[in-house]
Amino acid sequence: MSIREDVKATRAEYFLCARGITKVYGDGTLAVDDVTLDVRPGEILGMLGENGAGKTTLTKMLSGLLPPTRGQVLSPRGIVRFASPREALDFGIGMVHQHFALVGTFTAAENVALGHEHPFSRVRLEQTRSQLEKLIEESGLHVPLDVPVEKLAVGEQQRVEILKVLSRNVSLLILDEPTSVLTPVEVDVLFALLRRLRDAGKSIILITHKLREVSSVTERIVVLRRGRLVGDVTTRSVTRDQLAQLMVGETAAQTVGAAIELAEETQLLGQDEERTGPGILHVTELTVKGDTREVAVRDLSFDVHGGEVFGIAGVEGNGQSELVESLGGLRPAVHGRATIRGVDILGKDPRQIYQLGVAHVPEDRWKLGLVLPFTLAENAILGIQRWKEFCGFLGFLRKRRITAHVRQLMDRFGIQATGPNAPAKSLSGGNQQKLIVGRELAKDPAIIIAAQPTRGLDIGAAQYIRELLVEMRRKGRAILLVSADLDEILALSDRIAIMYEGRFVAIGRPSEFDRARIGLLMGGASVKEAA
Amino acid sequence: MRHRRAQTAPARRRTLTGLSPVLESALAGLLGLLVGVVVMAIYGYNPWAAIVALFSGAYGNAAGFANALAKATPLLLTALTFAICVRAGMFNIGAEGQLFMGTLAAVAVSLVTLPPGIGQIARLVLAMVVGALWSLVPALLKVTRGVSEVISTIMFNWIARWLALYLVLNILFDPLRAEKTISIPMSGRLPLLMGKTTLSVGFFVAIAFALVVYFVVWHTVVGYEIRAAGLNPTAAKYGGINSRRTMLLSFTLGGMAAGLAGACYVMGTPPTYSVFAGLPELTNLGFDGMAVAMVGRNHPIGIIFSAIFFGGLNAGGRAMQLRAGVPLDMVRVVNGTIVLAMAIPELIRILPMVKSGVRRMISSVRPRRGADSGDTPGDPDSSTSRGDATQEKERGA
Repeated sequence: MSIREDVKATRAEYFLCARGITKVYGDGTLAVDDVTLDVRPGEILGMLGENGAGKTTLTKMLSGLLPPTRGQVLSPRGIVRFASPREALDFGIGMVHQHFALVGTFTAAENVALGHEHPFSRVRLEQTRSQLEKLIEESGLHVPLDVPVEKLAVGEQQRVEILKVLSRNVSLLILDEPTSVLTPVEVDVLFALLRRLRDAGKSIILITHKLREVSSVTERIVVLRRGRLVGDVTTRSVTRDQLAQLMVGETAAQTVGAAIELAEETQLLGQDEERTGPGILHVTELTVKGDTREVAVRDLSFDVHGGEVFGIAGVEGNGQSELVESLGGLRPAVHGRATIRGVDILGKDPRQIYQLGVAHVPEDRWKLGLVLPFTLAENAILGIQRWKEFCGFLGFLRKRRITAHVRQLMDRFGIQATGPNAPAKSLSGGNQQKLIVGRELAKDPAIIIAAQPTRGLDIGAAQYIRELLVEMRRKGRAILLVSADLDEILALSDRIAIMYEGRFVAIGRPSEFDRARIGLLMGGASVKEAA
Repeated sequence: MRHRRAQTAPARRRTLTGLSPVLESALAGLLGLLVGVVVMAIYGYNPWAAIVALFSGAYGNAAGFANALAKATPLLLTALTFAICVRAGMFNIGAEGQLFMGTLAAVAVSLVTLPPGIGQIARLVLAMVVGALWSLVPALLKVTRGVSEVISTIMFNWIARWLALYLVLNILFDPLRAEKTISIPMSGRLPLLMGKTTLSVGFFVAIAFALVVYFVVWHTVVGYEIRAAGLNPTAAKYGGINSRRTMLLSFTLGGMAAGLAGACYVMGTPPTYSVFAGLPELTNLGFDGMAVAMVGRNHPIGIIFSAIFFGGLNAGGRAMQLRAGVPLDMVRVVNGTIVLAMAIPELIRILPMVKSGVRRMISSVRPRRGADSGDTPGDPDSSTSRGDATQEKERGA
């Protein structure tokens, strides 16, 4: 089909249409790969996918935040190119981001006025107010207009964001994970609103990874997996199981061999009860609060033994980060107990915990794992800087030994860098992660807590890090693996726990689960429902 | 998360403008002098004569250079105060007050009689202790109650100032000359190094302190922890580093430097070896130290050189006033412009539009380095759009 025909087609049926759209980031990451997608007027389109599937990147390209590397966006009026979100807004496309872009000390009216010219002239503010009052009446989005938005509940702030976009009279509203911050009641209110907007002829793209939501409110669902569009279905024609299957998919072709090999080995060891070593980590009724003081981990109890990989699967944001942080000494627990080989670790600082034989591969390598402006050598001793090996008389650093240590790490773990004194930020993501994993494994730990150890890495580096974890397990170390990558969990774990809203909704051996059931459990279906 | 790496990974260049730090500091110094020249020309002075007088006065002969080093001594130490705390991730604006307290501690020792040798050491040590104690109050407020150190150290400067004025006029005053404090006795003075100049052993004390700071911060585990906590507090916590400890330590070290600055000044400055009411000679030594630290890139070795440069400006300023008839205040114009010029790289970081503009300017005058080939050369639009995208991405993230 030529472009001209495409344009005709869009005029007839589509509000907006992406043709072969691709995004390659500066570091070579292929985030969105040749996606063709249309958005029709007056429909709610669900966009489903795991973390990192490319949902956000795709919609950012549609809303003018990112330029596509290849492909084009068509509208009934022809090819459109947005140089900025403002141009997209003028065209009629508005996006509500997962993290709100509101000025906390401004009122709702001021926040809405902010995007217009002369936002703080009295005329503008009055105009905005009356427009907002009208909009609120039409949409039922009730928010106090004269209270600083930081005083509003999260659900109300989201309504301000939606009002902000609606006030620009958009035809297409994109909502990125809008329900992740809402209570169930607020979700119902939001969905009712979305239906009203649809009835008023607007198009809506709803990004989510929750199956229940997407099947309750949308007409049509597109599924993304690893940057590719793997499904475009009408909601009525699919079951949740089919959606779960589409979302988590089959193991990627490249890793299939290695993954099966690992899985077989895992299963062999797993079935051999004798080989599972003594309990190392013992957690009882652990409760931890998140950043916003909500309970993130609820009364969690589990054990991890030597020689086993205990894998925690789940969609991110269900308490995994908080669990790992509390075990690593970075976040206080509300109550409960956690012991390493019988010694309590809650309330201890990270260094004391490391002394008990804990290695912690943190989830966020830039925020926690590395001091980016530091050199490789300096980063290689983070957490073990006070070991006698590295710090001698009067606390002087033993630079020669530290350099030798880094060189050893570079050799053993294949870290590509210009030398021990290269700044850590000059390394690629894979090499940065190898540096962290190498540093942690070099501690000769009894237990390795690895959070999202392969996220964002290319297949080679990811596979190498998985092999390292398996090797540690073979040596009888305990491994607590938290990952949003289901393939990884399935391939490596002796036991799997599925975490949803701070609880384990199921624990078992990998053979007890199939992919679709895990997908359902991750999406919040109860165990009965999933069975 | 994945998106952000595009910006962080290729950031091999050392500074924000892509120039080497030494060159950046030198350019700022040059710009400061240039603006000074323009201002002088506007006000009808002869800028050429003034500049010649300034530099020949500061560096032209041994006596001038000695005076420049003498002027550099307290600046070097107060610059270290600021620099150590910046390395620990904090802004210690309190060198001024810590210096006042250190000075008066050194003067107060004169109330008792001590033998030579002991007298000097006792004064230096006590000044360091008092300076450290004075800086520890804001530091403790910070680590226990979360009080911003910027605000509290500024407030402590004023408390120190009025306390110092009170002590000078009411407790430590000289019975024979009430406008100044008692003089440091011979047994407590730092030996002068050259006749007819004010250069004393204090300069070497300051250099020694800078070297100690260098070794502590860059070669010991304590310094490692201070720098880690300053660069990435969350990673430091993960690394088992107690950031409260590193904060207190850096403030202690900084307070010691500031106290020492005051002691070196009062113990090594003829002819009176005392403090005058109104603290004219001490005022602004702490604040000027911040400019010295900025130009010295918050590195002890860099600070030694930048302190000598600023010391030269101050010492040469006298010659400029004398020979070219330009008021001494012109030196402050130059100082101020240098500080502003040092802020330009920061400005570039904040405003991506300026950044792409400056990048283009720089790339048009010199060949591009391999390291900053983030955007395609030859495509004038690419850097602008990348700037926009960066800004948006940061907002989105």
